[in-house]
Amino acid sequence: MFIKKRIKQIIVVFLASILIACEDFVEVDAPDYKIIRDDVFSSEETAKSAMTGIYNELFRSSFSNGTQYSVTVLGALSGNLLKNIRETNLTRMEFQQHEITPENTSNLFLWTSAYNMIYMTNAFLEGLQSSEKISSEVKNQLQGEAKFVRAFTYFYLVNLYGDVPLVLTTDYEQNELASRTYSEEIYTQIILDLEDAIEVLTSENQDIRTKVNRYTAMALLARVHLYNQQWQKAEELSSQVISNNSYILLEELNDVFLANSQEAIWQISPVGSGAATTHTNEGNFFIIDPVFSFLASVKLDENFIENFSEEDLRLSTWISYNESLNAYFPFKYKIWNSNEQPSTEYSMVLRLAEQFLIRAEARLMQDNFTGAIEDINTIRNRAGLAPLSNTDNLETEVLLDELMEQRSKEIFTEWGHRWLDLKRTGRYEHIWENNPLWEETDLRYPIPADERIKNPNLTQNPGY
Amino acid sequence: MKNNYSRLKWVALIILGGILFFLSKAAQAATTTLPLQEQEVSGLVEDKNGLPIPGVTVKVKNTNRGTVTNLDGEYNITAPAKGILVFSYIGFRTVEIAVENNAEINVQLEEDVASLGEVKINAGYYTTTEREQTGNISKVTAEEIELQPVVSPIQALQGRMAGVEITPGGSNPGTASTIRIRGTNSLREEGNYPLYIIDGVPINSTPVETNSIIGTAGIDPLNNLNVSNIESIEVLKDADATAIYGSRGANGVVLITTKTGKQRGTGLEARFYTGVATVPNRLDLLNTEEYLEVRRAAFENDGVEPTAQNAYDLVTWDQDRYTDWQDFFYGGTAETTNANISFSGGSDKTFFRLGGSYFSQGTVYPGDNTYNKITGNFNLDHSSEDEKLKLNFSANYGVDINDLFWSNSISSSTVLLPPNAPDLFTEDGSLNWEEWAVADLENPLAGYYNRGRTETNNLLSNLGLSYQILNNLQVRLNAGYTYYESQELMKRPGRSYNPSAGEPNNSFHLNSHRKSWILEPQLIFNDNFGDVNLDAIIGGTFQENTNSQVRYQGSGYVTESLIGNLDAAERVINASSQTNQYRYAAVFARIGTNWKRKIFINFTGRRDGSSRFGPENRFANFGAIGAAWIFTEEELIKNALSFLSFGKLRGSYGSTGNDQIGDYGYLDSYEATPGPGGLYPVSLANPSFSWEVNKKLEAALELGIFKDKLNLGISWYRNRSSNQLVGYPLPAITGFNTVQANLPATVENSGWEVEISSLNFNSDDFRWQTSLNFSIPKNSLVSYPEIEQSSYANTYRIGHPVNISLLYRYEGIDPETGLYQIADINGDGSFDYEDRVVIQDLTREYYGGINNNLSFKNFSLQFLLQYVKHEGMVSFFNAGRPTNQRDVVLDALNSNEDYQRISQLPATNQAYNNAINSNLAIQDASFLRLKTFSLGYNLPGSLLQSFGLRDGKIFLTGQNLFTISPYEGLDPELSYSSTSFGNLRTVTAGLQFNF
Repeated sequence: MFIKKRIKQIIVVFLASILIACEDFVEVDAPDYKIIRDDVFSSEETAKSAMTGIYNELFRSSFSNGTQYSVTVLGALSGNLLKNIRETNLTRMEFQQHEITPENTSNLFLWTSAYNMIYMTNAFLEGLQSSEKISSEVKNQLQGEAKFVRAFTYFYLVNLYGDVPLVLTTDYEQNELASRTYSEEIYTQIILDLEDAIEVLTSENQDIRTKVNRYTAMALLARVHLYNQQWQKAEELSSQVISNNSYILLEELNDVFLANSQEAIWQISPVGSGAATTHTNEGNFFIIDPVFSFLASVKLDENFIENFSEEDLRLSTWISYNESLNAYFPFKYKIWNSNEQPSTEYSMVLRLAEQFLIRAEARLMQDNFTGAIEDINTIRNRAGLAPLSNTDNLETEVLLDELMEQRSKEIFTEWGHRWLDLKRTGRYEHIWENNPLWEETDLRYPIPADERIKNPNLTQNPGY
Repeated sequence: MKNNYSRLKWVALIILGGILFFLSKAAQAATTTLPLQEQEVSGLVEDKNGLPIPGVTVKVKNTNRGTVTNLDGEYNITAPAKGILVFSYIGFRTVEIAVENNAEINVQLEEDVASLGEVKINAGYYTTTEREQTGNISKVTAEEIELQPVVSPIQALQGRMAGVEITPGGSNPGTASTIRIRGTNSLREEGNYPLYIIDGVPINSTPVETNSIIGTAGIDPLNNLNVSNIESIEVLKDADATAIYGSRGANGVVLITTKTGKQRGTGLEARFYTGVATVPNRLDLLNTEEYLEVRRAAFENDGVEPTAQNAYDLVTWDQDRYTDWQDFFYGGTAETTNANISFSGGSDKTFFRLGGSYFSQGTVYPGDNTYNKITGNFNLDHSSEDEKLKLNFSANYGVDINDLFWSNSISSSTVLLPPNAPDLFTEDGSLNWEEWAVADLENPLAGYYNRGRTETNNLLSNLGLSYQILNNLQVRLNAGYTYYESQELMKRPGRSYNPSAGEPNNSFHLNSHRKSWILEPQLIFNDNFGDVNLDAIIGGTFQENTNSQVRYQGSGYVTESLIGNLDAAERVINASSQTNQYRYAAVFARIGTNWKRKIFINFTGRRDGSSRFGPENRFANFGAIGAAWIFTEEELIKNALSFLSFGKLRGSYGSTGNDQIGDYGYLDSYEATPGPGGLYPVSLANPSFSWEVNKKLEAALELGIFKDKLNLGISWYRNRSSNQLVGYPLPAITGFNTVQANLPATVENSGWEVEISSLNFNSDDFRWQTSLNFSIPKNSLVSYPEIEQSSYANTYRIGHPVNISLLYRYEGIDPETGLYQIADINGDGSFDYEDRVVIQDLTREYYGGINNNLSFKNFSLQFLLQYVKHEGMVSFFNAGRPTNQRDVVLDALNSNEDYQRISQLPATNQAYNNAINSNLAIQDASFLRLKTFSLGYNLPGSLLQSFGLRDGKIFLTGQNLFTISPYEGLDPELSYSSTSFGNLRTVTAGLQFNF
């Protein structure tokens, strides 16, 4: 085909210049609101910010935030501690009645938020690992904090669901079809993470209870060993925490749940919400305001209240009563809602009283009755109760009953303790033996249906 | 809410006034003849009714000399005695007359009706004609859409084009509609937007985020365009037409061309209409008496004593109170007003058009919420004396003011409130929380005191420059700049919300900016080599889009009146700002060849680069080939099939791409946490995803019969979209629910499209034209290796459409329990995805529209019927629960045949929930709808002249006047839910004058 020479030239020059310009033109820089992962871990400052991010997100993450989707509330409903005031909220009723459907949205939120937290810690650990610009001192400390949070999250997953997928990397191609791992293996990983954490974490930093230090990890590991009936290890670790002077069993029960309370081993600050409100979600959900009592959702179970003796200070300070609804409600947190800065109450995760209870149980199971009674009395004493009498004649079973009673009265509506205690000790049996809706398989929450749609390798727990 | 009928009064008044006006005026015609002048030619150009036509171009053939007729249709030109004058005007047949020493040449122009084949089609970078196009391009013109009382031009296209499916996003003015050109290509909802190009400038077709009641559907980005200022809308469908848009053409291209002065001639055009819109349908729900009867029966059947805890509606609430919640929430009347004025003018080498409009529309919801828009536009055309240099500039500016705030949304749960539900307000006028909370319900008017405003400013500008370097070589530069800014303030006083939330007085601020520029240098070359003609265009594109969004919340205002004034806020929280940048570059070429204008072959190619992909995957090539053969040009066929006035076979094949995904998806990155001082990962990153590719194949036959009185086009297409770019759903154990990735899946859209237009009758007084479009689309997920091992295993089925629902199989009423029963396929005693064996297709089976244009003397009538065949879902037959139900459940009081036992037990509810997820809930949702209707009266010419008017018209239009459907939900078009509706019944009336 003949084209005039000049036109040919024009076209060639035109095309060449556009092609050259194209290549560079489509390069764009990262936007102002994003930091590339490698950059996050290229300085200590930003790496620390990423850990702060994890702490912040614990207050927004469903499973850990103390709202009606959290372990605290759902566990207390399952554990016969809380009752729904009205029966119309089916999502919460299913937990109360042990009739959870795999489609239950609260159950889904619980699961997805926990795994999102695990992703965050995995991403953080991977980032730290590959970074060469962070001193080993800072690296160790941050690694310890993240491993603690990962172990903490798996602890609840394995206790609520049984076998769960063990995800330790951020590689979604590898993880998306992961099947469930035996709970023993999950526990092995939890213990590994916590032992690593204890080794590298600083024993300082104890004034700020929202940050994880060596003793925080010990406290959780003590609980893990207790759950696995490693009595000696549980006793050793709880003893180490108890003997640390910065943790004090507060005389005044009203002060226990305050921000950075000396009894606290680990707390989550409401600052993480990023919102104007500064109250804890537990306070907001549990407290029945006298003016707005019609807004209340849950109350404490009457049988639970009846078990308290009148002089028990925990009944008078940690439980309150609303006349119009004839309802008792948890009053550990005193603030229903607040915009005041800074927050005066933090959400409690681990506290010293539980360590006494852990040690008491560990000692008891090792037949150290004196030691066990000593610890139980520490808790009774603080609650304004007389020490156990005739201690010489007490049998293990009776003492164990007393210990479980103290556990339920001391750490009620905190992090599903009651539900997990009933499960691990087999004590659920006489509670529900006459309940036609109860089945043994209700001990495990169902794997969310949504999750099984997307991952065909996830099996369902029996009974669902 | 204003008086529902005040607008109807207006409508009646305008019609009445119009009629009186004609009767009282005597017709006068005045014709003047210019005196003869030597060496000059002058004359009068008229239409067949003897009315002068201003703005007609009069040219001396083969010269650059020319003029236009004035307001009286007169012209004056110096012409050589042996020259030829060419008279041309849009919509009329061009006439050539030899001067032959005549000093006066009067011309009567004939309307250009039969020459459909010569209609110019805008194909984006080039223009073609219906006769010669090798691709598939549908077109609507100004006449079809300009009177429609719609906010966005997209809405005006409903039912008018084959292969173009438009579904309203809701009933609120300004809500973005969904548009699908030839089906759903991408498994990603947001990956199916077509490319919008206005006067050569691409604009972001993603709906704009808002806090207003428009909600998640978002604001239509085309809202700021004045519908009356649109000259034509072309939709490009096949590979030949879309490949020149390369990576952005996969979902089709919508080209919007605004009016220019050149097409209009000199004149002033003014139009005004006003009207009302209502929700045309209601669900048949129970009244209080029926509702309570059903509820009482439920407790009786269950042997349960109603108490304040389990039956607040029976025990606590007033047993006689009745509220029709449907009337309360959407029983209002939305008012619409539009005023439009434009002026155009110019001379031989320069034309301009200047216009402005006002539009307002209310809502059917309680409260005084309106959407207002004001637009202005300017268009300028200029060419140099020698016609070598040409310039076109257009600017469209629009301001939207939208007060659509008050509550978060009206959801289905609000209309299904028990009919005896408590009052919304307490005696002191504040929102009633207590009585509702007792029943564990939120006052449905939560948010009632919220006020807000979205103000949007939008500038679209385009400059086109071209220069003829050589006889056959032209250089052209197309430059565009768009700016879109939306500022939104929502005032949320604490008293709007449930006191437990402890909400302080809040203000929510959301500001969005979209800015883009584009530069497209092009070379256009044409030549002929014997019988072979060659047209080629080579060009490049450089485009940059910057989208930014700033949001923050002012909190703790001391008093309600200060909300929004940040100085008075206790603090500013939840602040976030984001700026995203997108860059796009391309080279493209189209070479068109034809042999004797009989056989056409076109090649299109494009190389695209997009910043949305990782550095390894930024560039890709796309291309297409299209061919056509006008067989009626062959003597043999022409003689054998003499009834055929036109016949063409055409076909095309090629590839286009899709890069509609979020920016920076390949970056593994962290963002700031809402809490202070923290960073966290917000999504999974995949550095290796790349383009989605859509291969399109088309074959078509076009015929003109009886001198083009009947035109018929049949096309068959098959589009295969592979390398699906999706937010691939992941189980939460991976940390997130989705990741951006390419799927090995292939989605196929194929189908038949028929477009027929006929001139049924054409005489001086009566003219009747019908056009019909009909589409049979077929959508199918053709392949997906290892789907069982993917997270889509329980969402899609190979060999079935993408838009399916997997349902349980309904087994009838269980005779023992009296409850709905579904099949337990795997027999494991529980129901999950393994039991969902019914594959329900929810895509349209076929759809079409018939448009009729009739004119008799001065009257004109236009109406469009739309027909869609598809299935929908209908629910609300759960008798016994404390929510209202459709009144069909009354059957269950006496019989257990169709509906399950009335009961309030959880097990009954579970049985119902299973049933609505079974084929029991499926219902035929096909419908026939009178989509648009308009009746016009053209003022008689004689009368017009006496007022100095060129044209005058009064008109009455209606939208969605009636719908016939077996569907029992609110709107068969939005049949995925019984309570969704999007098509209001609108009636407007107005006047139009051209001076």
